[in-house]
Amino acid sequence: MFNPRDIIEALAGNVKQTKSPFGIPKFMVNKWFKDLSLPKEGEYLLFTGLMYQFTPFIEKSTQYLEKYEGTKMATLLKYARYVPAYLSGIGLAMMTSGKEKKEAGQTLKNIALLLQKSKINFGYRPDLDNYSGILLYDMGDQKGFVAHAKMLAQKLQNAGIKKIITVDPHTAYALKELFPKYTGISFDVKPYFELLDLEPKDCDLQVTLHDPCFFGRYLQVSDIARKVLTNFGISVSNIRNQGEFTSCCGGPAESISPSLSNEIMEKRAKELEEPGKPIIAYCPICLGNLKKSGADVEDLSTLLVRHI
Amino acid sequence: MSSISLDFAEELKEYSEDKALECFNCGTCAAICPLVHDNFPRRMIRYIQVGAREKILENSDELWRCLHCGLCTHTCPREADPGEIILGLKRFVVANWRS
Repeated sequence: MFNPRDIIEALAGNVKQTKSPFGIPKFMVNKWFKDLSLPKEGEYLLFTGLMYQFTPFIEKSTQYLEKYEGTKMATLLKYARYVPAYLSGIGLAMMTSGKEKKEAGQTLKNIALLLQKSKINFGYRPDLDNYSGILLYDMGDQKGFVAHAKMLAQKLQNAGIKKIITVDPHTAYALKELFPKYTGISFDVKPYFELLDLEPKDCDLQVTLHDPCFFGRYLQVSDIARKVLTNFGISVSNIRNQGEFTSCCGGPAESISPSLSNEIMEKRAKELEEPGKPIIAYCPICLGNLKKSGADVEDLSTLLVRHI
Repeated sequence: MSSISLDFAEELKEYSEDKALECFNCGTCAAICPLVHDNFPRRMIRYIQVGAREKILENSDELWRCLHCGLCTHTCPREADPGEIILGLKRFVVANWRS
């Protein structure tokens, strides 16, 4: 286990300086929309919160943390907070493979396509799409989180945004539950799959759905994801820990203790592999972590796009 | 010997909702927590109840093993919200580092 203080102060410093927990400049992270001609205006704003885009960088940084956890080198992490955020961020971006970055972007393209096919009137504004600050909240840096959330909520409000589509559970929870509580600014927030209205296809397929904690338990919307799959003719196998009683994938511990994260991940992967069907995730953190376990897993949007 | 801070629960009100004293230590949270071998988060909540402020600061690293998965809060029979209590303790410790 790393010293939590070293990790938190490094992340908090990065968010403060660059609005990103990894210090990577946004133009290097958020590129998925560039070859699409998405409208800027619409009834809803598509807000990715950059979480899918961060997954290749999370994977890369976790590889290094895994290597040094429990060694003398781990103590050097206390100096990370003194490294200028952009410097470490650009370094991390350079070390991360282009293939993985492209894959992460493809998921967002799939989601945009599903929304278009469902005839949802949405726009995308890269200038408004920012990290929600959720990691600061989870880590206990309340002051840092509230400052970041206020800045972002104000920015969205000033742009006249009222309705927001989110793509991951952590950003959805931050915008739906935490922003009204800590910034006093509320938006009508919907996860993308809640808005899908696609032609039902008979897929004759069975999958196992891994509900992320924040969709299954905190926001209690996993029945909606199940309904989307059922409408496609895809049956979902029942496992013991699902819906509001879903099990954690271990992802939240990966920066503080990769070994603990792996331990939790292995347990969850075993539960999900039990029915012997392909696994579907709908959170970038869960997806990345389950992939790491070697599970046969893909994102919900990837599966759906293949069948429209 | 550990010292006891009688006002600890009061001090924590700044960091989270005051729910720790609702807990009757049934252990459901520790049983359902993915960190099965640590009697977590029950032990931390007990420390609050008895005012063991220093014990929490000494063992503060443990708080960040919490995955914030919410299973403890979802199953707590007293609605004491153990997940939020742990989050409140993290905030308390971070504030202590920075003070």
